[in-house]
Amino acid sequence: MVQYDYVHPRTPLSITLSVWNALFLRESVARLSAGRIAWLWLLAEPVLQISIMLFMFIVIRMRVVGGMSTEAWLIIGMVFFLMFKRAAVQVQNALGANRALFTYRQVKPIDTLLVRAGLEGFITTLIAIIFGVGGIFFGIPLIPDDPLTVLLVFFGMWLMGLGFGLVSSVAVQLIPKMSVVLGIVSTVLYLTSGVILPVSNIPPPYRDWLMVNPLLHGTEAARMGVSAYYHGITGVDVSYLYKCAIIFIFFGLVLHRRFEAKLTSL
Amino acid sequence: MIIVDNVHKRYQTSHGPGKWVLQGVSFVIPPKVSVGLVGRNGAGKSTLLRLIGGNDQPTKGHVERRCRVSWPMGFGGGLQGSMTGRQNAKFVCRIHGHEDDIEDRLAFIEDYAEIGSAFDEPIKTYSSGMKSRLQFGLSLAFDFDVYISDEATASGDAAFKQKAATAFKNLMNRSSLIMVSHGESTLKEFCTAGIWLDSGKAHWFDDINDALNAYKESRSK
Repeated sequence: MVQYDYVHPRTPLSITLSVWNALFLRESVARLSAGRIAWLWLLAEPVLQISIMLFMFIVIRMRVVGGMSTEAWLIIGMVFFLMFKRAAVQVQNALGANRALFTYRQVKPIDTLLVRAGLEGFITTLIAIIFGVGGIFFGIPLIPDDPLTVLLVFFGMWLMGLGFGLVSSVAVQLIPKMSVVLGIVSTVLYLTSGVILPVSNIPPPYRDWLMVNPLLHGTEAARMGVSAYYHGITGVDVSYLYKCAIIFIFFGLVLHRRFEAKLTSL
Repeated sequence: MIIVDNVHKRYQTSHGPGKWVLQGVSFVIPPKVSVGLVGRNGAGKSTLLRLIGGNDQPTKGHVERRCRVSWPMGFGGGLQGSMTGRQNAKFVCRIHGHEDDIEDRLAFIEDYAEIGSAFDEPIKTYSSGMKSRLQFGLSLAFDFDVYISDEATASGDAAFKQKAATAFKNLMNRSSLIMVSHGESTLKEFCTAGIWLDSGKAHWFDDINDALNAYKESRSK
């Protein structure tokens, strides 16, 4: 029989790392150069959103929320929620956007999700820094009293987005019309996370129901971290955000393990 | 060497499990033996190629690749529509661990594909022939032991087919092919052995002509 000269195969880890590197570069190019000024929209979208909400708060003459200026209150809520939302949406859509690349057996569905989460975390962190520095420049009190808590919550929001995206990516692919349901879910999450509606105005029995939403814990904890004088709602717990995130990530990874073959061959 | 051991495959449909596409397929492809797959439409040729290429997992049984196997070439698969030819090429170089000599390989791919300035245009603007050219150049840029071709040259023009044939000929010294083609002459030209797929079973023939004859006989019945 012909003697076969065997070339050293790469280790699974080195293959995964080179796939992540390739995907990260591919995703960055796609995210920053889709259209003429794609990179500008990444920043312009939250700026516009916050400006519109701020305008509405000015119209109803709401200058202060819980002892914090409305500008700071809105910016913190919006930017922290943005971290969750962008990570979740990008991860959720990663499979559809990279379908052609599953031709290469080196690329696993989960790779595209993890890389997107990483890229989105990186981009949103830059945006958050721009908002922070820009806000302080315009005299909005955004210098954190407790920077560690703020960082911890910011990371927690990213983890939560990753977890949500891991689960919803599988759901969107396997259950028809699931994207419609998820659209409604994300609107509900937005409205109940205390981003634009102050939850402290809601009377006790119903407020406790909203406390189930881990993102509410995130936005409120972030505001408390920025200003020690902010009167947030009682019972805010950063560890609850992390627990939820870990449960979602675990469940999402299980789903990906279970349906891996199905996700590549769709 | 590629070992296909008792492979069963069926796809999940919206009405539960579909019918078996492959049912107990077993064969061993020795090193440097080029194989042609024949069978009627829907016999499971592309499915088998996907399983060999590692793009899909068998429902039962297993496939072992003891060599470097390419991805299945053909039908413009593996090219991301929104990215340019160059970006796609870079991506493929990177996942195959060729970050260091990426420039050389890009130059080779660009030169081989001969699609001119379209190399820097998004894939979605390509014709199917241009996609074939790029795909073909891409796969030749790496030293695979086995190349998998699913009608990879079908949509190319005469000049490209000629070029591809020359490339396949040159490969014969160091690599082998597993190809699906409905062109009898193509199969006879490049393949020594043949596999005839019929109602979920695979029949191995040491000579491609025997495989083609068996296939033809089954049609005339």
